[in-house]
Amino acid sequence: MSAMSTALTTTFTASIRTVWGNRKARIGLIILGLFVVLAVLAPLVAPYGPEDNGFERNQGASAAHWLGTTAAGEDVLSQLIFGSRISLLVGFGAGGIATVISVLVGLSWGYVRGWLGDVINFVVNMFLVIPGLPLMIVVATYLSNGGISVIVAVIAITGWAWGARVLRSQTRTLRGRDFVEAARFSGERAPRIVFREILPNMTSLIAGGFFGSATAAILAEAGLEYLGLGDSTVISWGTMIYWAQNSNALLTGQWALLFAPGLCIALLATSLTLINFGIDGISNPRLREGSTGR
Amino acid sequence: MSTATHRTTPSTPGAEEPLLRVQDLSVVYEPVGAPATRAVREVSFEVGRGEFVGLVGESGSGKSTLGFALTALSKPPARIESGSILFGDVDIASMSAEELRTQRQGGFAMVLQAGMNTLSPVRTIRKHFHDIFAAHRHVAPGDRDDRAAELVGRVSLGPEVLDRYPFELSGGMRQRVTIALALSLEPQLMVFDEPTTALDVLVQHAVMDTIRELQAQEGFTAILISHDLGVVLESAHRVMVMHDGRVVEDAPSEDILRRPQHEYTRMLLSHFADPRAEHVALPGLEAPVAGTATSAPSASSSPAAGGGLELRVQGVSKSFGAPRRGAQPVLAVDDVSFTLAAGGATALVGQSGSGKSTLAKLITGVEKPTAGTIHVGDAEVGSLRRKELRDLRRSVQMVFQDPYAALNPLSTVEYTLTRALTNLTDLRGNALRKRLHELLETVGLTPAAQFAAKLPHQLSGGQRQRVVIARALAADPQVIIADEPVSMLDVSLRAGVLALLRDLRERTGMSLLYITHDLLSARLITDDILVLHDGRVVESGPTAEVMRHPQDEYTIRLLDAIPDPARVHGARPDRGDLP
Amino acid sequence: MRYMLQRAGWFLLTLWAAITLNFLLPRMMPGSPADAALAKLAQNGPVTEQTRKAVEAQLGVPDGNLLQQYLDYLHQVVTLDFGVSYAFYPEPVTGLVLQALPYTLILVGLVTIAAFVIGTLLGVLAAWKRGTWMDALPAVGGSFLGTFPYFWTALLLLFFLGYVGHLFPTFGAYSATTVPGFSWAFIEDALYHAALPATTMLVTSLGGWIIGMRNAMITTLGEDHVTFAEANGIPGRTVALKYAARNAILPNLTGFGMALGGVVGGSVLVEQVFGYPGIGFLLFNAVTGQDYPLMQAIFLMITVSVLVANLLVDIMYGILDPRTRR
Repeated sequence: MSAMSTALTTTFTASIRTVWGNRKARIGLIILGLFVVLAVLAPLVAPYGPEDNGFERNQGASAAHWLGTTAAGEDVLSQLIFGSRISLLVGFGAGGIATVISVLVGLSWGYVRGWLGDVINFVVNMFLVIPGLPLMIVVATYLSNGGISVIVAVIAITGWAWGARVLRSQTRTLRGRDFVEAARFSGERAPRIVFREILPNMTSLIAGGFFGSATAAILAEAGLEYLGLGDSTVISWGTMIYWAQNSNALLTGQWALLFAPGLCIALLATSLTLINFGIDGISNPRLREGSTGR
Repeated sequence: MSTATHRTTPSTPGAEEPLLRVQDLSVVYEPVGAPATRAVREVSFEVGRGEFVGLVGESGSGKSTLGFALTALSKPPARIESGSILFGDVDIASMSAEELRTQRQGGFAMVLQAGMNTLSPVRTIRKHFHDIFAAHRHVAPGDRDDRAAELVGRVSLGPEVLDRYPFELSGGMRQRVTIALALSLEPQLMVFDEPTTALDVLVQHAVMDTIRELQAQEGFTAILISHDLGVVLESAHRVMVMHDGRVVEDAPSEDILRRPQHEYTRMLLSHFADPRAEHVALPGLEAPVAGTATSAPSASSSPAAGGGLELRVQGVSKSFGAPRRGAQPVLAVDDVSFTLAAGGATALVGQSGSGKSTLAKLITGVEKPTAGTIHVGDAEVGSLRRKELRDLRRSVQMVFQDPYAALNPLSTVEYTLTRALTNLTDLRGNALRKRLHELLETVGLTPAAQFAAKLPHQLSGGQRQRVVIARALAADPQVIIADEPVSMLDVSLRAGVLALLRDLRERTGMSLLYITHDLLSARLITDDILVLHDGRVVESGPTAEVMRHPQDEYTIRLLDAIPDPARVHGARPDRGDLP
Repeated sequence: MRYMLQRAGWFLLTLWAAITLNFLLPRMMPGSPADAALAKLAQNGPVTEQTRKAVEAQLGVPDGNLLQQYLDYLHQVVTLDFGVSYAFYPEPVTGLVLQALPYTLILVGLVTIAAFVIGTLLGVLAAWKRGTWMDALPAVGGSFLGTFPYFWTALLLLFFLGYVGHLFPTFGAYSATTVPGFSWAFIEDALYHAALPATTMLVTSLGGWIIGMRNAMITTLGEDHVTFAEANGIPGRTVALKYAARNAILPNLTGFGMALGGVVGGSVLVEQVFGYPGIGFLLFNAVTGQDYPLMQAIFLMITVSVLVANLLVDIMYGILDPRTRR
């Protein structure tokens, strides 16, 4: 429907303006943009292939290897650049799946009444209180070396509950609004009311939830890889630290090996958190930048 | 109670030194990422000691912004741009934060709009009082409990409220507590910002009586900010009318009432009428004269479109499950019976909690009655299944209370109407588009093509309510239920929407059930009235008759609660025709 | 009272669900964890019938009687008998867990409480001084630190303060020369060893509390009761703490339970880096040694601890919010 798309475009551009107008969010978007460009153009930007291991081992920084080489004789900088692909993939993949689950559960949970709502309430709260990382560790151990897709799935399954809860309470608020009742009087059926009338009014919350889940996913992936529970043959920031730790990089003084990938993880996660500062301003106008004059 | 308000002349406001002098005051709003707007423009006025001044205006007139500026409570994004506010002989802009804070005892105080939130939800009332006493140390620690009890007594509350939490009190009680708290500061100036707006009519009336009595006894200077000209005229000695950030008229209440100078004041006054009078009229809208409206109106004469359906409610009750085990279930509607004739217009009047909205839900099939039957034409609403209920939407439609909430903010007018037409009629394609434009023209939104493309936030409140009405009309319903359709609109927009409802009914012959707490609008567009109290019908009959000669005690109280400036200012001779 | 009963009921229900999830988890996994476990055990010597039954109750057999296994498993849980570890053969699982538990409980418990208190206060300050450096520094700094991976922060501290600076010990919970016991020397030594792990967790978890409290506080500061308190001349400090913060802390408390799960997860990584002999390090050893019975027992223990902590928070909420006392 064109009417709907224009309406959404209008609010979309307004939202972008609000986010961009927030200084913190703007910095976040720029950092994220840089990482995305790096990941996409990795073969062009990186000086060597990520798995080229013909170099001298355990080298310090030099003109040929800005960040030195690993214990297996690979170029650290090139690995770092290619590693961004995995973090972005896992972050956006797992974050995306978790968001889709949270939207589906949150909206239907907010719309239904009666015992079904109580059952969903119980399941969601269960997922909320069970500590995520230990659960991921246990599951990943059973599915040892299942590859990136297993990691994405495990992170997504343990990471949707918070978003579902936030969306549910917003759905409850919106379903009490007259326009939802009015839609029913216009003969609309429940699925259309939920997904066409209610859902578009929560885009900022969903976007916020997405960036939140993506942040958590990136950190969780790095944690699992670091413990050696991921696929250790993949080049990612987490496995880089895992191998660095295994080759006692701390004792050999090659701290850049540990430092650089960790900093990248932190920067990427920070960029997403910064973007959420701006998105918070859409859902809660009181959080927009400004001072209280004290 | 209202004897204290019988003053024909202001109690000699201090001629010597004015308490408050405002000069060329301008306040701007500077939100982040949006253009700045000037809410108050170069306003100048003085208020003498002991005066009771009313500040009246519609939404967006800048009256609350001015109130916050006067009490030095303006916060970003609002900013005082220029001008000065002299309190006594001190410019409040020159005061340091600490000076400002300490002067709030014995200086100026503010009572905020009655809401859930003026009191901290996690502190008892007693703690609220103690915080103020501790902040200013104007009451000795040993006397504080007694003083708090005395203060709540002043606003007609017992000392037991001191140990309650705000959520344990009713809206009216909370507002009384708020007034008592402000009073505990022993202020010279008290600003009341819409003090009774969120309250029920009867409570509103009682709280206003308290405010007037307190002002007379304590002698503080009062500024009453309100959108309700009736309330202001009844209470204040002097009225300032605000429009678009400017004070357009500033005169004694009596002059405002009898000799309004500014065009805008005259317009506001023209929308004010007493529903008890013999002839009641607003601009473009005249009530049927008493005695002539008892017969069914022009329904039979012009059954142009669908015509009307009869609505029959017989012995209907609705109880809701007890909020807690062991408690009594709540009886929201208690054995209500009435018939709305095909093509007739009936008002359902009552306060919040009277059961009128529940009754609307029962009639539209949103809720099922616990007992009794509801017939719309031949269909028995309570027994309909979901599919049949959807069919009922073709004949029974609803106009919602809040036009700001009743339209999806992300949907254009065209989308909203198209969905209703697609679901409820067989029209498609060009025929549908033609009907859509026809609907918009019917509700007075022309040119239709232009309005069709708009989003709700691009429309005014009155225009939005017209869209809501257009959507209800999509399937040519035979019964329209209008739930407080004008209560959220500014006074000047109400008459237009009411006139539209009345005209539609005359033109199509549909039946109208008009739910409201506002007796004046009921008088203007309905033939019959039912007064609901605690879920029961306490009085019913032809609207004009009931208004002019109410029988039930509750109806009389409702009518008496209507602000009546004439009673205070003697503009009209006392009506001797009331029983 | 009604609220407390409700929370207690909810606690029992989730406890049961967590225990059952722990039972189902290995049974839902592909392959047979029980067979793998038994094969591992067999490497250490002959497996007794009793051990075999214990492992099967815990991890499942492909086509056994599920109900019987469930009952056996519940019996195990109630008697705290989880069989023998094979990563630390022949130590009983329960003994290992109970040995490690105090270290984690004290470390995570103290750090969480400290982070909550400090983060909440900084959040209050940030919101109250909004738009100044006192807002920007904790808000941006906190969220930046909060995105540091736990293990990375740990490695950095370990490297700079341990290996390079020699200011803190690099491994373990106490020196090899100290004898664990209730002596001042031991406590001092334990605190010294706990300093780096604790700092890591404090630094990484602080940001979340700051942001959460700041946002809740900003929302509360816009509410009428705060404006009214200011209009009544109540001093700024009182308004900030007794009115705004007192209300804003309530939604923040609700997030406590979720955050706790995250801190507990982080502690696994931190303990691994510092070789701190708590539950997390034990879990890491169980995982690398594919010691399923030990892993299951630890997971159950962690979940139950978090549930108990949540119950405590719920009780606190009930005390702080009069509206639950109806």
